[in-house]
Amino acid sequence: MRALRGRPPTFWMGVVVALVSLVVPVALNDSQLTVYVFIGLSVIVVAGLSLLMGFAGQISLGQAAFYAIGAYTAALLTRALGVPPLVSLAAATAFTAGVAVVVGLPLLRLRGHYLAFATLAFQLIVLSVIGEARGLTGGDTGMPGIPTLSIGPLAIQGQYRAFVYAYVTWVLVVGVLLFNRNLVRSRPGRGLRALATSEAGALAAGVPVARYKLQVFALSAAYAGLAGGVYAFFVSYIAPGSFPVLLSIQFLIMATVGGLGSVWGSAVGAVVVYLLVQVLQSVGTGPGLPPQLPAILSYAVYGLVLVLVMTFLPQGLVPALQARVAARRQVSALEAQARGQLD
Amino acid sequence: MSLFLTYVVSGIATGCTFALVATGFVVIYRVSRVVNFAQGVFAVIAGMVASSLLTRNLPHGPAEVLAVAVAALAGLAVGAIAIGRPGTPPLASLIITLGLGIGSYAVIILIWGDQPVSYSGLPGLARLGGVSIQLQFLLVVAVTAITFALLSLFFDHTYPGKALTACSSNPYAARLVGIDVRRMGLVAFALGGALGGLAGVLITPLQPVSFDSDVGIAINGFAAAIFGGLLRPGTALVGALVLGVAEALVAGYYRASFESGVALVIMLGLMVWRASRGAIAEEPE
Repeated sequence: MRALRGRPPTFWMGVVVALVSLVVPVALNDSQLTVYVFIGLSVIVVAGLSLLMGFAGQISLGQAAFYAIGAYTAALLTRALGVPPLVSLAAATAFTAGVAVVVGLPLLRLRGHYLAFATLAFQLIVLSVIGEARGLTGGDTGMPGIPTLSIGPLAIQGQYRAFVYAYVTWVLVVGVLLFNRNLVRSRPGRGLRALATSEAGALAAGVPVARYKLQVFALSAAYAGLAGGVYAFFVSYIAPGSFPVLLSIQFLIMATVGGLGSVWGSAVGAVVVYLLVQVLQSVGTGPGLPPQLPAILSYAVYGLVLVLVMTFLPQGLVPALQARVAARRQVSALEAQARGQLD
Repeated sequence: MSLFLTYVVSGIATGCTFALVATGFVVIYRVSRVVNFAQGVFAVIAGMVASSLLTRNLPHGPAEVLAVAVAALAGLAVGAIAIGRPGTPPLASLIITLGLGIGSYAVIILIWGDQPVSYSGLPGLARLGGVSIQLQFLLVVAVTAITFALLSLFFDHTYPGKALTACSSNPYAARLVGIDVRRMGLVAFALGGALGGLAGVLITPLQPVSFDSDVGIAINGFAAAIFGGLLRPGTALVGALVLGVAEALVAGYYRASFESGVALVIMLGLMVWRASRGAIAEEPE
């Protein structure tokens, strides 16, 4: 019990959110469980992107490319070579990180808008390579019949398929977020935070800037690869169209809304943006409404959210709230102190 | 040989439209240090507006001019939002223009639907050195040449043009001599919008545009713009022509689906090469 005493309120808030999200799947039907899984996978990708943008100060408009690489690697290994799904998933994660290292070595010399365009170009190249390699990937028509996740003879299928996937996703999300939290507080994490404040300063203080940047880039790609692998096993059909540029932008929006570099913000951003778009989609698909309405609504929301957040809350939702709470607490502490002096 | 010439001519024509988009990037970046991700949108909007006006029986000429004017207004609006709040860092402005680009999809689908639109350009063929060339290609080249000549006159011989150049080389000094740097930024955005729109009205007869054509247009324009380090329109023109011809040759002799890959690979290679020489390693904060 001693370890629990004196924990900050954010710790308990995290515990409550974790427990609630653990119970929620029981009350959901299959299509809602699918949304639950997709949100979880988005949280994993965004957790990596948020680290990359918040700490390494690097913008990526191609995160969906790593998602696609993870999905195709996992699917190919299991479907074509018969590798056990869990091994494929681990291999997909490692392979995606490896691709990020190879790509990152030249690309991370770039900054700002150059890197933004470079990562966008990287994604378009990956998509066209997948589309051209018809023998391997099925080209633009996609790859159907990907087996489901299994451990030995135990496969996730049947009535409780989506339910079990929801818990697999939950475990991965919690693992990724805890890893991020510990990373941010570790020695490399302090180096990264120094890097986020001033690259020259961090370099002068002995932080190996280039190596850290590459490692964060690889870590964010590994997260995306992991999520992509689970996605492939879950939906059992992937095509280049499953990973459009818009998906990368969606990840970027989630990371920005949550707050760049905020560990919990990445979860909040992903959930808020995903649910918002889901609600609008269901509002827009009523009978008698034009068929393009859902697309119009989601584009409008993406655009508005990006512009409003960058203009008025550039640090993101969660850090802004944290700052407000901290300021209020400081005020009440000062008031208490003043009252004490008066008495 | 005549096949080769045909590819080169069509490559030069598409290269000219890239050059117009690229100059839009350059004009905006020079003054405001913002890379405008919505640059491709101006071309799409102008193409759509021109097409609508033409179906309402407005003759060629006025329709295109009006469309370019609408694109210039769109540029002004993007600029007002992206740099309207003083002290917005360039990277935030970049994400804002990205958001405006996505948001514009909603408007474009709302007004024009999600199907590609096109209209007929200049009809007829010309014979040149044994190859027949679409007159529209020649029109594109001529308009681009005139535009570049006018731009160079504007930047070198008029006060507003010189003021824009002053803002790009030293904003602080420009402010000291009484130039409103923020207003010049807005002027640059409007000019960038007009240039993108000009590319749009020229390109739509050659290849139909739909709401999401802007990514391809912007990538080609940006790839051309970085030939000149985002600062020199002349080098961007050379880059755009190289890019256009290279793409036309790849599409003609190899595979049409690799056409866009050329721009991407050239762009990546060029950026990394320049960065390794330290040319674009540091960016002003």
